[in-house]
Amino acid sequence: MKTKTLYSAVIAVSIFFFMGCENENDINESGYLVPKTVDEDPSIPSIFVNGTQLHSETFGNPTNPMLIFLHGGPGSDYRNGLNVQQLAKEGFYVVFYDQRGSGLSKRHDKKSYSIQLVLDDLTEVIKYYKTSPSQKVFLFGHSWGAMLASAYVNQYPNSINGVILAEPGGLNKKLLDEYGEMSRKINIFSEVTSNLLYVDQFITGKENQHAILDYKYGISSSFTYAKGNDEGIPGPSPFWRIGTTVLESFVAISENEGFDFTTNLDQYQTKVLFLYGELNKSYGLTFAQKEASYFPVSEIAEVKGTGHEMIYFKWENVEPLVLNYLNNLK
Amino acid sequence: MKAIIALIVFLISLLTTHISQAQTINWESLEKNQKHILNLNAGWDYSFVYGLSYGYHLKTELPIILESSISLASGEVIFDDFKTKIGGQIHVYQIKNFRFNASLHGIYRRYENPLVTLQNFGVDAGVVIGYYEPKWFASGEFGFDKAIVTHFKHSDIYKDVYPDVKNGWYEPSTGGNFNFGVQGGYSFDRSDITLRAGKVMTQDFKTTPLIPFYVQLGYNYKLD
Repeated sequence: MKTKTLYSAVIAVSIFFFMGCENENDINESGYLVPKTVDEDPSIPSIFVNGTQLHSETFGNPTNPMLIFLHGGPGSDYRNGLNVQQLAKEGFYVVFYDQRGSGLSKRHDKKSYSIQLVLDDLTEVIKYYKTSPSQKVFLFGHSWGAMLASAYVNQYPNSINGVILAEPGGLNKKLLDEYGEMSRKINIFSEVTSNLLYVDQFITGKENQHAILDYKYGISSSFTYAKGNDEGIPGPSPFWRIGTTVLESFVAISENEGFDFTTNLDQYQTKVLFLYGELNKSYGLTFAQKEASYFPVSEIAEVKGTGHEMIYFKWENVEPLVLNYLNNLK
Repeated sequence: MKAIIALIVFLISLLTTHISQAQTINWESLEKNQKHILNLNAGWDYSFVYGLSYGYHLKTELPIILESSISLASGEVIFDDFKTKIGGQIHVYQIKNFRFNASLHGIYRRYENPLVTLQNFGVDAGVVIGYYEPKWFASGEFGFDKAIVTHFKHSDIYKDVYPDVKNGWYEPSTGGNFNFGVQGGYSFDRSDITLRAGKVMTQDFKTTPLIPFYVQLGYNYKLD
């Protein structure tokens, strides 16, 4: 019995000292696991529009034609799209913002989100930065951002002077499901699947514990660039914070209400540029043609040597295509 | 918190001299002289896992089994994601063939992906109520798994995402999940073939894990 007690005491003391080597952190403390948002850190550049505070930056002469970059997600941020700022040197006023609840923008409750609300945010961002009524406005959307750009011209076909859509994941629910089936195949025995799912017993997070939920989704993002992924993503690309609440909210809207951003696209008479990555096996020319067919005038271009994250990994191949399109509409 | 964890470890270690998840056991077929229970299992426990456990049957008035187990998550890297448990289960009450059992385990588990390595100390507790015959049994189970304190160590990939991220131990609890389901089995000679399945919900009862189910197929071999 003495040996048993001694053995147990040694284990317990060892663990006490092992754990005592480092300070304890509060899981609920802001800024410990994910960055603070604009409402928590005043040093982050932001704008107040439409009842929220958005993380936002601009590059270039404010009187030049405006190019607004719309990041993917929903819930991701514009950090991996910052290469687009190079278009400022080509005579464009480049505007970035993290969408409502995404990246470093202010978080909101799950039930507050709607498609119309994020469209209204974009209207207010355009108003905020527009310096004259005649200033042209272009949208450059990537993934979910391209879906959002399509939704915007579907609703306001006369307010945008040109649109670049880099692999929108589906302009309506049917196409989104189709893309999802092609791009998210799971092998239950694989390391990738364990990396995505096993963490659910370590970190849960309640509905209002935004930072924990954002962190958990963020560390699960390695799933997207796992070896052999169908979207042709070669590795990690940077992000600030993934807004899990906004992502879950829009997934619920999609599942419960559905969506269709194509109903009025025949009214948008300006040529639309579609981009797809050569290495994204889930998208390709066929899917691009399917999506482009909703627009009266479109051009489809393949970006060589890259997959879905073309703006971060192969900007040198994206820029000439985008610049050529924009200069013809400038 | 550190002191509490150390105390829990001390008590569990003290109570379980034979370093040994609760095993799925047919109490009706377990004979008094059968001391050792070896178990192999596989199934879905947050991801696909393979498990091994050992149980030691104490000669006490209320039947107690001290247990230790390890389960490994499937994947190309074997020992990056795993869970170990140490504890026991007790047969508390019986009315004819109906039995009431309870279990308690200390947990140490590890998770690693390209962005972070997590180590967690936790505890699970559960109850099993069912009908037991010598050749078969069927029961219902309910349990709670609490991730009490977790150590975070981030890779350079995550430090690129957020350079100010803080490594170290995090508390209070980083998570907790309830599970409820059924278990059953067939017994022959010294063996049991068992099956458990059920649903998992997070502790706020509002959300679930990405795959909110568990299932486990097991085989027990009992030795004197």
